[in-house]
Amino acid sequence: MKVLVTVKRVVDYNVKVRAKADGSDVDLNNVKMAINPFCEIAVEEAVRLKEAGTATEVVVVSVGAKQCQEQIRTALALGADRGIHVETEGAVEPLVVAKLLKGVVEKEEPRLVILGKQSIDGDNNQTGQMLGALTNMPQGTFASEVAIDGDKVNVTREVDAGMQTISLNLPAIVTSDLRLNEPRYASLPNIMKAKKKPLDVFSPADLGVEVTSHITQLSVAPPAERQAGIIVESVEQLVDKLKNEAKVIS
Amino acid sequence: MSNTSEDLLFDLTLTDDQRMNRETMQRFSAAEIRDQAAQADKSSVTPAGFYQKTLDLGLTLMPIPEALGGAGVERSPVSNALNAEDLAHGDLSMALGAISPLAFVNTLLDQGSEAQKEKFLPRFCTEEFLAASTALIEPRATFEPTELSTKASRNERGFELNGCKSMVPLGMDAELLLVIAELDETGPAAFIVEGTPEGMTRSAESNMGLRTAQLATLTFDGVQLSAEALLGDRNFDLQRFIDLSRIGLCALAVGTCQAVLDYVKVYCNERIAFGEPITNRQSVAFMIADIAIELEAMRLMTWRAASLAEQGLDFHQQAYLAKVFCAEQAMKIGTDGVQLLGGHGFCCEHPVELWYRNLRAIALLDGTASV
Repeated sequence: MKVLVTVKRVVDYNVKVRAKADGSDVDLNNVKMAINPFCEIAVEEAVRLKEAGTATEVVVVSVGAKQCQEQIRTALALGADRGIHVETEGAVEPLVVAKLLKGVVEKEEPRLVILGKQSIDGDNNQTGQMLGALTNMPQGTFASEVAIDGDKVNVTREVDAGMQTISLNLPAIVTSDLRLNEPRYASLPNIMKAKKKPLDVFSPADLGVEVTSHITQLSVAPPAERQAGIIVESVEQLVDKLKNEAKVIS
Repeated sequence: MSNTSEDLLFDLTLTDDQRMNRETMQRFSAAEIRDQAAQADKSSVTPAGFYQKTLDLGLTLMPIPEALGGAGVERSPVSNALNAEDLAHGDLSMALGAISPLAFVNTLLDQGSEAQKEKFLPRFCTEEFLAASTALIEPRATFEPTELSTKASRNERGFELNGCKSMVPLGMDAELLLVIAELDETGPAAFIVEGTPEGMTRSAESNMGLRTAQLATLTFDGVQLSAEALLGDRNFDLQRFIDLSRIGLCALAVGTCQAVLDYVKVYCNERIAFGEPITNRQSVAFMIADIAIELEAMRLMTWRAASLAEQGLDFHQQAYLAKVFCAEQAMKIGTDGVQLLGGHGFCCEHPVELWYRNLRAIALLDGTASV
């Protein structure tokens, strides 16, 4: 069984980002970049399926500028077998990414596609679902457990009401939630070996996709600074303030 | 960093591999070391499974030839120094323990015979962590590595070893030890000691710092070793061994001093006194700036020595200068870190007191961290 797994290059989760002075975007100058944490969980899940003998090949794909190849290589170091880079310029919106991924899915014909549920930069949470719609494959989003069962995959999802387990016919799409697994560290020998693994580069034109944009970003501003708190004298005063000032209870 | 002699430019750009290695090491260091360091220090016990995790990173596996089960990557003092730095950013003591087996492996690769490599290196390529270490320091006043009081003498069965070694990292558990001793009148030699042979005793040390590195004093009283225990076919190059471990020690110092700088920068910007952050006071700002300058100098000297070693050039002087400078500055930066936190620096709630205690050991640890 071939598994396709996606990775996105995003700002490292430890970085405190700032808005550009002109408010046009987040300032990415000299900022550390890394694999989106949810994508890393997706890679780990694919690698575990391979280690368990369920998957035979793990192909990792990333859409973006040339530097994305660093993240593909990290995924290869984590255990993926080969990489595909779809090279694009500038920002690409989720629908375009989904169309490009559809092109890759048609080329590779994987039985399972694992994506992160969302990326920590845009927080859109759209690509996986859009890919499902475009490819007409069933989707199990926000997975906290993935179990392959013959021609089906059972996906346990974290939903508002609790845990829901659904059974999907393969080929299927799964998006990973935080608790799906704990990704390993890329070991030093595997980082060296990753260099030798194949990496193909495609342009959007190769996949028959035209990169268009339907979204215009108007402005980026930092969240309002938190006001200093106060210490209340008594429970009565607290209740009074919650009722009459904050108006969160009645 | 450039590691071929054709590169004539002074280029400090890391290679792709080095950058990726650093990313792994820094994440590991933050999650598996820094968060556990204070508790580990308090109990003097390394967190359960820690060394197994370092094994999974493949730190020791890297330079071992593929034929013997390793990764077969050419030994790189520069990469090893970077790894040591990143681990020590989490905790100097745990970092020292983590790289001790590598110091054994590196020295074996460097100066061991083919038969010894084939015998011992595959033991590092299993799924189980193998504790190994090097023993040079001796517990006596004015200890000088070139004048060893641990003596080995040849006899019909091999060698007899007598003497005492101290501050041996992982000394209580190490199954393989490289013990440096004076061989008859011929000069220094290194001996591979397996397990705990008759006549050898291990005792745990209680030190001001490095409490999780399991430092131990080892005594050898008429220990009989086989003829094969002598490391290498030629004379042991003690100076090279010491120089390579000086680079490792410098890198450890750089890592922990970086941790100090990162911590005091945040603390002093957030600490309000007299209605403003204390960094608005020049006495504080200058002190932090000095740490940054000294640290950068430490790092550059360390990288230079490592880079020369990697290119196969003479690096003795650079390693020595780096060690002297790093040992002095490490103590100063450790002290300044505590000072900058004022009264809080004295509290164990903040890690600066731990770093202060550990950094004082850099000056003492010759022969423990061969890169």
